[in-house]
Amino acid sequence: MANTETTLKECLASIEGATGVALVDYTSGMALGTMGGSKTFDLNVAAAGNTDVVRAKMRTMEHLGLKGQIEDILITLNDQYHLIRLISGRGGNGLFMYLVLDAKRANLAMARHQLKKIEEDLEV
Amino acid sequence: MTAVRTPPQGTTPPPRLPVREKSAARERGSGLSPMLTRLAAERATGVLERERGSLYLAEGRVVHAESPLAPGLDVLLLAHGTLTPAGWQDARERADEEYGVARLLLDAGRVPRGALELCHLEAVYDAAYFALTPSSTPGRFRYGAGHWLGPLRPVPVEAVERETLRRRELLHRLWPDPLTDGAPLRRSETVAAPAPTARQSAVLAAVDGVRTAPDIARELGRQAFHTLVDVRRLAAAGLLTALFPPPRPHRPPPPALPFRAGATAERAVGPAAPDPAPPPGITLPRVNDPDITLLKRLRDALEAL
Repeated sequence: MANTETTLKECLASIEGATGVALVDYTSGMALGTMGGSKTFDLNVAAAGNTDVVRAKMRTMEHLGLKGQIEDILITLNDQYHLIRLISGRGGNGLFMYLVLDAKRANLAMARHQLKKIEEDLEV
Repeated sequence: MTAVRTPPQGTTPPPRLPVREKSAARERGSGLSPMLTRLAAERATGVLERERGSLYLAEGRVVHAESPLAPGLDVLLLAHGTLTPAGWQDARERADEEYGVARLLLDAGRVPRGALELCHLEAVYDAAYFALTPSSTPGRFRYGAGHWLGPLRPVPVEAVERETLRRRELLHRLWPDPLTDGAPLRRSETVAAPAPTARQSAVLAAVDGVRTAPDIARELGRQAFHTLVDVRRLAAAGLLTALFPPPRPHRPPPPALPFRAGATAERAVGPAAPDPAPPPGITLPRVNDPDITLLKRLRDALEAL
């Protein structure tokens, strides 16, 4: 039983190495909530830009005729991990969680598992 | 012979032609509604009524927004079974000054808080996008007016303005012609169009030559802006076009006036008017001929490069 804000807080507090998190509507590209980030890392910009990543992948899957659902998308930089986890909202909107991790401190498998748990508790 | 005269030495050059400085406007604040910026600064409470929607403020923050062009929170909540119609009706009837609908729904456990907050947030930004479109009439603010929904999750005015501008730019980037936002839509024949996504297919199936994008949004129980995005993508793919000129709505004919030079300017109601009344006696250049549409798309794409 969690609302958006507590969910975002929990991501930052419980996932080792998390530096920013956003809940994003991927049709409009709007971040419905953000937490963390920094002056040099604008989560709103990241949210809007990563909708194109999600859209491109979904499109490709439709072209390939794949019936499976995307669980998450992982992007690794040399010093960061970006984890995108798709959620289907009750309002019929596609949403995703966007999590930024510091590569030096994060445990990728653990973070993925924790994000899945947190997402299951999120009431959207 | 055409001679280009350079100004003789010692005289002042002619003033430069005025150029609209978009970046300057953006720096001065969003420029969406100076009235809204002022109301936010004075932490006003009440409702700002504009041509295409209303923004409800509480202490300078946006608590709710409504627009006839955007489906309301009830449509979004009911369409996907998040809430039962009886539950909504019951809360609407029992709501008063102290207990708003939102609080009644949450207290009765009819809808999870997270779901209601997100749905409301999406509805607010959706309606605010339309409420903040450029309008021909000045806005009006009624101090003190509250909304029956009650407080839920207030949003800063700057966030709403920033998001509205971002949304405008997004639409423009997808397909620069705003006509599909408000005009009746019809499907168009095209060769080798990319296959629409499942979401877009649902929109395309609702296109019938009569419905506009906001009509389709309401029918599908989706946000109007999301439908505008889908419609512009479909227009860019050549799968649909706006019906132009739009059929005239049935309304009493305006009183006959002698023709004046300023008449057309007075009629102009902004770029995204849903039914721009064509001035009499002028043939409209826009057509639905596929070849011409293709050429226009090509031109628009080249201009956008």
